[in-house]
Amino acid sequence: MVTYDDGASAPHSAHPSFLARYVFSTHHKTIGLQYLWLALASVLVGMLLSTLLRMHSSWPDTAIPFLTGFENTPERYAAIRLLHGSLMVFFVLTAAPQLGFGNFLLPLQIGAAEMAFPTLNLLCFWMTVVSLLGMTASFFYPQDVGINLWLASAAIFALAALLSALNFTVTTIDLRADGMTLPRLPVTVWAWFLNSILSMLIFSVLLAGCTALLADRLLGSQFFSATSFLAAQPQNLVRQGSQPILWQRLFWYFAQAEVYVAMLPCFGIITHLVATFSRKPVWKERLVVLALCGVGLVGFCVWGYHMFATGMNPYAPLVFAVLASSLGVPAAFLLASWLGTLWEARLQLTTAMLFSIGFISLFIAGGLSGIFLARHDLRSAAVSEDFVIGHFHLVMGVAATFAILAALFFWFPKLFGSRLNEPLGKIHFWMTFAGVYLIFMPMHWLGLLTQSQLLPAAQRATLASAGGSIRTLVTVATIVTVAAQILFVLNFVQALVRRKVAEADNPWRATTLEWSVASPPPESNFGNIQPVVYRGAYEFHAGPVYDFAPQHLAPELLSQKQS
Amino acid sequence: MPGSITTPEIELVIEKKTTDGGGGNLPPVDHPGGGDDGKRPPKRRPSPKRYYTGMVLGIVSILMFFMALASAFLVRRGSGDWIPVHIPTLLWINTAVLLASSATLELARHRLSQGLLSAYKNLWLVTTALGVLFLVGQVVAWRQLAAEGIYLASNPASSFFYIFTGAHALHLIGGVAALLYVAKRNFDQAQVTRSVAAEVTSYYWHFMDALWLFLLALLYLGK
Repeated sequence: MVTYDDGASAPHSAHPSFLARYVFSTHHKTIGLQYLWLALASVLVGMLLSTLLRMHSSWPDTAIPFLTGFENTPERYAAIRLLHGSLMVFFVLTAAPQLGFGNFLLPLQIGAAEMAFPTLNLLCFWMTVVSLLGMTASFFYPQDVGINLWLASAAIFALAALLSALNFTVTTIDLRADGMTLPRLPVTVWAWFLNSILSMLIFSVLLAGCTALLADRLLGSQFFSATSFLAAQPQNLVRQGSQPILWQRLFWYFAQAEVYVAMLPCFGIITHLVATFSRKPVWKERLVVLALCGVGLVGFCVWGYHMFATGMNPYAPLVFAVLASSLGVPAAFLLASWLGTLWEARLQLTTAMLFSIGFISLFIAGGLSGIFLARHDLRSAAVSEDFVIGHFHLVMGVAATFAILAALFFWFPKLFGSRLNEPLGKIHFWMTFAGVYLIFMPMHWLGLLTQSQLLPAAQRATLASAGGSIRTLVTVATIVTVAAQILFVLNFVQALVRRKVAEADNPWRATTLEWSVASPPPESNFGNIQPVVYRGAYEFHAGPVYDFAPQHLAPELLSQKQS
Repeated sequence: MPGSITTPEIELVIEKKTTDGGGGNLPPVDHPGGGDDGKRPPKRRPSPKRYYTGMVLGIVSILMFFMALASAFLVRRGSGDWIPVHIPTLLWINTAVLLASSATLELARHRLSQGLLSAYKNLWLVTTALGVLFLVGQVVAWRQLAAEGIYLASNPASSFFYIFTGAHALHLIGGVAALLYVAKRNFDQAQVTRSVAAEVTSYYWHFMDALWLFLLALLYLGK
């Protein structure tokens, strides 16, 4: 338990030292921002790595300029892929929507002054940092040491994610303001809450898997024995009776659910933003919450499939994940609700809204390509790795990044007190939107064309030669899209430097509690006044003067403002 | 409109079943400068609900960790290189010690609720001592197995034996630390009362107890 006596409410001195303010701050807003900085650094590095990967696959003979150790060996290529994947999945997709925005906004949106266990929160953040450093360092070590280091870092990340999920869950259950009943919770809070419950369950499985695997590699235990799934296994650890399938099950159980862990908070954010910028209540809000529960439940239930199904082929879990994540009933409900909210709405096409609609577009496109992958006879089907890569980047990676960007544009005034530049943001959106389709759609074609087993060999050769130019197109599109992110960085830095006082505390005329306080919010969030909630989170169309009813405004005050 | 209902939420309050007799429940001393505006009531302890919720959720995650290993155990058992590990007799004695510690813990909490602080403290220390005794017993059992030449790396069954007992022992060390912490803690100005701290700790301790019975059954029946 946390040995914490009086921290959250303790009076802070006016000018705390740098260490107290940034390194040892247990304040949820500070920690949330730190997670976001971590994610920003990771996404920039991860993007550069993906550019390197693309350049290498298009022009394999060209030496990579600033990586002399790269040496064009398959091992280094695999190591870059691993680093790209780890940075993106753990420190961007898992960290930003849930830990970054969740830490900053969840207590504000439920009317709490702090998380339930602030010291635990601080501990989790630094464990995440250690894990990031470990995973990055594993890239520079020889492969054998590197894999051990990577596994230890993954275990630390799992433990941190587990503990912060516990913190989120307790906060949502016990620290809600008066009147904040479950039906009145914003959908974002629902998503963070359900995602935390899911994370608590699945990260303990990853932790168990990593512990056992590390014991195998370091202490010579025989849980998974000949762990042939990792290519360069030292010979002295390879024994008879190999059980790599066991590790695969534990890992794939996690990896599948990880798709939902990345996507759930994004669903919440998109639902929230679509309603706010459509100036309409969320269409069938209860159904949306049920759908989110359904996504969590599906994420958890794949457990049974993995533990007891036998004879898996390596694509089966991915197909299962793809099927469940893209074509599941809950996803269809969510999609219906977004479209229902957008229907006949007075849309406000801000950059945040554009990114939200972009998310929906990517979600549909990814879902459609998922139909191809949802075949049980995938190996004989006419698709290859390119198709799978294109598919999951579109539906998971890029869609989630769009949700993160939408959230950043929307909550930037709340985080930093100034607004991002809208015209610049829109140019950035359109370049990125066109860019990701140009990257990942041709990848789908590539997957369908070049390795089709159904065509005669002569035709396949012709198609394979056509594949070369498609590859070059993808690589060029990647470089252009990554370069377009400079616009975003410029916008970001400019807004930070300007730090103009935001024109209003509630620039988007949103209803939820975080907009009832100043931007950025004061240290104690709501001060001495305990917020009271009077209504649901999406009451737009409330009257002639005010087209929305904030959650915290008492009914008599609201009718005064209306008249 | 569903949201326009203004009925106040009925707050669920966990009733305090136990009353603290020995000074733990005295109104806490106000911090100097704490009542800044004078209008607010003196600072009270915030609701301890989150500690209960946190403990229950923590138990669920720990259970999930062991379930992942248990299902791996069941799957791995079917392979050819499995050589069952016999359970050392000492483990049954250790089990009795651990069960006894749960009983003394409940007794201690009962004394606390009666206001018998010194009896509570003694029983609490007995619980801690029994916990340590269990851990020592586990170490001795490991050494017995090692003397027979059964190590972590010997075969899959021994690997699972050591990881189950080892992970449980690690979690139990945490429990012993919690017991010591509650025993040494000064509750006059803490956010929770002694009885709340004792109850939350007891959840964990009893869970460790039940988990051990489960693991023992798994190792005994599943070998």
